[in-house]
Amino acid sequence: MLADALYRLRALFRRSTVEHELDDELQFHLEHAIEKQVAAGMPRQEAVRRARLEFGGVEQVKEDCRDARGISLPETILQDLRYGLRTMRRTPVFSVTAIVTIALSIASLTTAFTLRYTMLFRPLPVERPGEIVAVRATRGRPTPEGPLSYADYVTFRNGTKTLSGLAAHYSTAPLYVSVNGTAKEVNGAVVSANYFPLLGISPALGRFFHDDEDRVPDRDRVAVLGHDFWRTWFRGSPDAVGATLKVNGVTFTVIGVAPATFVGLRPYPAQLYIPTMMLGTGYRWCTEIGGAFSPQCTILEMAGRLAPGRSVSDVTGELTMLRPEAWLHAKVGENSGIEVTRFLGATRNESVAQLVGILTAVGIVLLLVCGANLTGLLTAQGSARSHEFAIRLALGAARSRVVRQFLTESLMLAVIGGVAGVALSTGFVKALTAFFYSIDDEGHPLYFDFSLTPAIAFTAIVSAVAAACVFSAIPARRIARADSNAHPDSRTTSGRWSVGRWLLAAQAAIAVALVAVASLLTSSARGVVKGTTFESSHVALMRVRPRLMNYTPERAQQFQHDIVRRLSAVPGVESVSMVGVGAVLTAGRFVPTVELRGWSRDQRIGAGQNEIGPRYFETLRIPVLGGREFDDRDTTQSPPVAIVSESLARRLWPNGDAIGSTIVMSDTSRQVVGIVADVRIHNRDEGLFALSPSYFVYVPFWQNPMQIDSRLAIRVAGDPAAVLPALMREINRVDADVPIAETITLPMQLAGWMREGRLTAAFVGYAAGLAVLLTAIGLYGSLAFAVSRRTKEIGIRMALGAGRSSVLRLILGEGMAVALAGAVGGLVLAAAGTRLVTHWLFQSAAADVLFYAAAAFLVAVVGFVASLMPARRAAAVEPLVALRHE
Amino acid sequence: MLLSKPKGRRLVSDSARIELPQGTLDLLILKAIALEPQHGWAISERIHQISGDVLKVQQGSLYPALHRLERRGWIKASWDVSDNNRRAKYYELTRAGRTALGEQTAAWRSLTNAVGLLLDTP
Repeated sequence: MLADALYRLRALFRRSTVEHELDDELQFHLEHAIEKQVAAGMPRQEAVRRARLEFGGVEQVKEDCRDARGISLPETILQDLRYGLRTMRRTPVFSVTAIVTIALSIASLTTAFTLRYTMLFRPLPVERPGEIVAVRATRGRPTPEGPLSYADYVTFRNGTKTLSGLAAHYSTAPLYVSVNGTAKEVNGAVVSANYFPLLGISPALGRFFHDDEDRVPDRDRVAVLGHDFWRTWFRGSPDAVGATLKVNGVTFTVIGVAPATFVGLRPYPAQLYIPTMMLGTGYRWCTEIGGAFSPQCTILEMAGRLAPGRSVSDVTGELTMLRPEAWLHAKVGENSGIEVTRFLGATRNESVAQLVGILTAVGIVLLLVCGANLTGLLTAQGSARSHEFAIRLALGAARSRVVRQFLTESLMLAVIGGVAGVALSTGFVKALTAFFYSIDDEGHPLYFDFSLTPAIAFTAIVSAVAAACVFSAIPARRIARADSNAHPDSRTTSGRWSVGRWLLAAQAAIAVALVAVASLLTSSARGVVKGTTFESSHVALMRVRPRLMNYTPERAQQFQHDIVRRLSAVPGVESVSMVGVGAVLTAGRFVPTVELRGWSRDQRIGAGQNEIGPRYFETLRIPVLGGREFDDRDTTQSPPVAIVSESLARRLWPNGDAIGSTIVMSDTSRQVVGIVADVRIHNRDEGLFALSPSYFVYVPFWQNPMQIDSRLAIRVAGDPAAVLPALMREINRVDADVPIAETITLPMQLAGWMREGRLTAAFVGYAAGLAVLLTAIGLYGSLAFAVSRRTKEIGIRMALGAGRSSVLRLILGEGMAVALAGAVGGLVLAAAGTRLVTHWLFQSAAADVLFYAAAAFLVAVVGFVASLMPARRAAAVEPLVALRHE
Repeated sequence: MLLSKPKGRRLVSDSARIELPQGTLDLLILKAIALEPQHGWAISERIHQISGDVLKVQQGSLYPALHRLERRGWIKASWDVSDNNRRAKYYELTRAGRTALGEQTAAWRSLTNAVGLLLDTP
């Protein structure tokens, strides 16, 4: 067997040598034969003629020798490839169409794969990422997991044997950094000294923290720069090491720079790292509850590396046993358990998994539609080439060889299209990153590694090849059975539809469904971003945080009063307001104990709550249905007041006398002074994804004496993004030390909330466009081919008296029948598809029917246009010419 | 007289149109080079002479057969200088070829014996 393989290899790679040798050998034999005849007395010429005759056809002999050599398969494959290329050049329109459509569908599938991999499976860019685990504290409801305190971290760190190391980190620390006169709030990380060694990362410059520098609270003010930060703020200069910078008002010294490949353990890239002993500087919200190292200050997360031979369940078991005493008696909302998971992918969000699943399904459906489309076109093309196949068969080609060559052509198209699609997907992914994954809903920059891996590219190309095998099966089988003359569409009308027609109707149906779902998603996203019971378009947002600079409440509140006054005076500003907790339009808190006087404990209901400044509803254009807004009357000295949403008012006071009544929340009584419209941003699966609950209570910002920070909402006359710099300058004039952050517009915030819905809308929209295009191409191709095959039939019809218009109607009718069948089927599919995406649909279901009807109408029109040209060509047939046509 | 090879690879002996079983040519080639390496022309001449001019191998059959045998590893080829100082491709038996020759000869003899016995009974 080895001899065989070597022989074949030699024949394949030393081909010309082998051919020369064969030539020489046969030549040698011929000459000896001639000499023999001459020696027997024959004249030379006669001897030559005799010898040649006896020898037989030299080429035939050579061919037989080549066959005996047994390397036909690779040689014929090469031949097939070359022939395939020639065929592709001969039918450029078809080839380009096929390659382009395959590329476009593979591009979307690859994009879906990349998204899936990055979100759910991509490992961390650290050493031996499979061993790194995230250790989380679990709580009861309402939030399932929570951070923990430094003391708790130390308990686990010192006690664990199943982990070779446990590090603590707070990876979303707002750090107000000031270097050489430039000051900006960036996202930083507060990390323990063993963080970088545990992950196995080496510094790009300088060094990381020593254990010694993380021992004493507030002593060692050392910082490590993120790579990006170093490049932007220090211009990548090696002088950065040793330089000083101010972080939240405290001076730090730079000791090193992190490598470019690592940006932290969260999608928010860390620009700066400071040690956990400086937690008090990095997190300013524990000053009122005993400082950063008190048991109530729970802000840290943990990451560990598995000890050799240990598994996740080992760690979970051990750490559960190591839990601090207090956890065993935890109340609702406090840490009680431990959860250990590997770091796989960028997020653990449930809805992301669902999103990715839907996008992948859409990508696969698109590939199938593309394939079905190409089946039809290939079948038509195969029939057109039946002459060519017949000739090849007559010349002695094995039928299997012809079929194999046909399949090779399809595979070539698939591979070229697949490679082009993968290349195209890198562009799609860049656009996807820019539109959806570059900042979050508060304006913080995000970083996801969406780079293409060889595995993804390979899977995509394999999918293309698999699709090729599927879509060339029917035409190939037809050639194999010498059925090429019986093209499905060449049958005359008034019969059952062929497979080709059904496939086209199916494509049309899928197109209708995709268009319908895409338009529903888009209109839903648009509606949310624009605002329903509020208006978002001219509102700018920013966040001021005097707390980072350790302002006292008195100083901070003076600051807040001043900036509201100054901002209101800026030209173009119509009104200014603020919220104290959470973001604008959301419930900053959830209060489970809303009741009326005299109610029992189990009658209580829950509601969202937020602290708002005066003119809040005016700024957001939320209708005030009764009573008034908060104003300067409502201070810490005046009686506590509240404004309720209309749904809550209806619930608590069905008789409609809300204004003036008293509402009790968390044991504080407040007088209701106003009713406002519900801020409706909840989806059809109400309760699962509500951005804002219907039951809402608003309390005055200025009735809380401990206010320090706030989020501002500013309504302007023009473009809010353009006015933001002027607004920031005004605030700096009041006090240049206060950090301003999260400067975005309200539409951007809402777009951030709707990110998944918008992404799905874009993806499905793209798929819809491609599906409509494919349906049009398929319909046009099928009808055009049918017309050219049926020229004779048309000629007969016209000779027998049919007018041109009736021929036109005949062909148009066939095309429209397919389009309409598709439309009907598509409506059913659309209803099913809508069910899959209700998660992201925020408008009411009543108008859905309109969208379905519009989608069906669109595809019908496209079908009409696609059928028109072949129909007109049919109508232009000259009967005499047609009858003579063979 | 001629062992020709039309499409279908049947070996036919010309004058009396004696049909020879498949693989006979391979056996004859193996035997022809059993003693010493030969080139293609010499093999063809040898078969012709020793069979008493009954069997003549046509080149269209001989060379494909030689290449096939080479592929199977029963013979191996090398280039050498022939008696009239020309370069020629010489074939010789390999060890596997020698074994194959023995097996095929035995098989042939037993076949012909059996057929002979059957034909001899009245």
